[in-house]
Amino acid sequence: MLQHIFKLIWKKKRSNFLMMLEIFVSFLILFAVWSLSVYTYRNYATPAGLSTERVWTVFLNYNTDQDSVLRINNELVTRHVQSIREIKSFSFAANNLPFSFSSSNRELEFKGKKVLSEIMLVGEDYPAVLGMSLSAGQWFSAADTVGGRRPVVITRHLARDLLGAEEPIGQQISLDGDEKRTVVGVVDYFRHKSSFQEDDNCFFEPAGSADYNLLLQVGTGANAEFEAQLAHSLQQLNPDWTIEIQHLDQMKDTQNQLVLIPILILFVVCGFLVFNVGLGLFGVLFQNISRRKGEIGIRRAVGATKMQVMGYFIGETLVIASFGIGLGFFFAIQIPLLHVLDVEASIYVWGILLAVLSIYLITIGCAFYPSRQAAAIYPATALHEE
Amino acid sequence: MIQLTSIEKVYRTDTVETLALNNISLHIDKGEFLSIMGPSGCGKSTLLNIMGLLDEPTTGQLSIGHQEIKQFNDRTISRFRNQKIGFIFQSYHLINDLPVLDNVELPLLYRNVSGKERRRLAAEALEKVGLSNRMQHYPSQLSGGQKQRVAIARAIVGQPEIILADEPTGNLDSTMGNEIMEILEQLNRADQTTIVMVTHDENMARRTHRLVRLFDGSLVSSNTFVN
Repeated sequence: MLQHIFKLIWKKKRSNFLMMLEIFVSFLILFAVWSLSVYTYRNYATPAGLSTERVWTVFLNYNTDQDSVLRINNELVTRHVQSIREIKSFSFAANNLPFSFSSSNRELEFKGKKVLSEIMLVGEDYPAVLGMSLSAGQWFSAADTVGGRRPVVITRHLARDLLGAEEPIGQQISLDGDEKRTVVGVVDYFRHKSSFQEDDNCFFEPAGSADYNLLLQVGTGANAEFEAQLAHSLQQLNPDWTIEIQHLDQMKDTQNQLVLIPILILFVVCGFLVFNVGLGLFGVLFQNISRRKGEIGIRRAVGATKMQVMGYFIGETLVIASFGIGLGFFFAIQIPLLHVLDVEASIYVWGILLAVLSIYLITIGCAFYPSRQAAAIYPATALHEE
Repeated sequence: MIQLTSIEKVYRTDTVETLALNNISLHIDKGEFLSIMGPSGCGKSTLLNIMGLLDEPTTGQLSIGHQEIKQFNDRTISRFRNQKIGFIFQSYHLINDLPVLDNVELPLLYRNVSGKERRRLAAEALEKVGLSNRMQHYPSQLSGGQKQRVAIARAIVGQPEIILADEPTGNLDSTMGNEIMEILEQLNRADQTTIVMVTHDENMARRTHRLVRLFDGSLVSSNTFVN
């Protein structure tokens, strides 16, 4: 039967070519959409490595760059924050707070290998505030900096990327070519840009006096009134400071929306395109079947059952779809083979599989009704209309 | 072989009811060559379609080979058509996008027959109708008579017990018509195939065993010929 279908398709190759082209284009669109979906979902399903629950950020600006004043101010803020019962833990940090719009990248080197990584300048209590846990080593403390030692905690991704198979703890890595850092701890994940961020390189080192933004872990009783009191009390420490308090979970939501909205727009546009292709396919099949009533009649007359007629037309459409998919597959597979983008190959494999499945489902969906109509034609009527 | 009892066929639309066949009772013996004549629109093709299970009677009973057809489902009817009946139509009803050999193979596609066996049987059927040199031609490359011979080959490839021919010579000139008629006579004689043929041609009808005439959906006469 398949050979029979091939012969008929080949004979009508011109009219089938357009249908195949439509399916080819749809396949590429679906491949892109599914690959992006799988990539986004995988990132979303990856542990974040930090918790935003009841974490507030205080964007502080002392409006001075004198180191001695900065240090005094930090001391003042530390004492003040420690005196507030609702604040469970706190940490100073540089501007690139999690889910903020700031980013800071540095080049790290180990045994000649160089990689770029996000640098987070943070305090000793940073993991306590964000509920982070280390998978190896420990978080740095003041004692680690004795004798000019520069301790860092790195993510597992950075360890793999920079150190390869080497045990990370105790390794000396260079920052921007010369400054040496000692790895004292490893965290498995730290996805700080959004819930959809890919697991990436990041390392943490002790904050300096110029890193005076605050991250606060507040108690369950901390409410808007407390937030206003906190802002007010900090402002009272120095009226010239600029203070802005934000909630980390809201900051995360904002970042998530910035990632999701373009993706959703893309999905809607692609969905519309695929819907149009489906509609076109449906129309072509309908027209095709009404043009081939005589053929349906003779097939029924020589013994084809309704199911066989239906199966024949669906089968024919699936074969044409398979040609479109085959052509699309040829182009799609080039992306992982040629490493066009720095994305795991399995994501493309999933993208291809899901696109194939979607195309077959769309094709069957579009072919089902016209084919059922074809099967329902009474043989005598079909032969008479011819 | 074929037994029609009080067959009625009514076509209904929202406003009109047309009686196409009125109380037709007819018995056709195995190996008989029967012709049906009558003016256009008298119900000849409808009767043939009912005999071929391509259409259902509104009332009445149809038995083929002692099997009453009424209780058959689509699958059984299709299998019955495939194994017992071969059709020949005035307008051939060949699939223009398939070569002659594939057209002839068509009934075997719906049987459990291997590709090789299908080709062999189709080639054999084409040889019987004298078209073995046209197997790879397309219907558009054939004359009317050749197309009808392909249609006959398709009808006989599954070795059916019954052939139903709806004006098989209607679109052909007399020479071609005679050739087709000879093939049908040969099939009837050699294989004892029961043939029911609708025709407008009195001379062709006289070459069959029996002629029945229809008028306004009713059977009006039956003449037996000694050939």
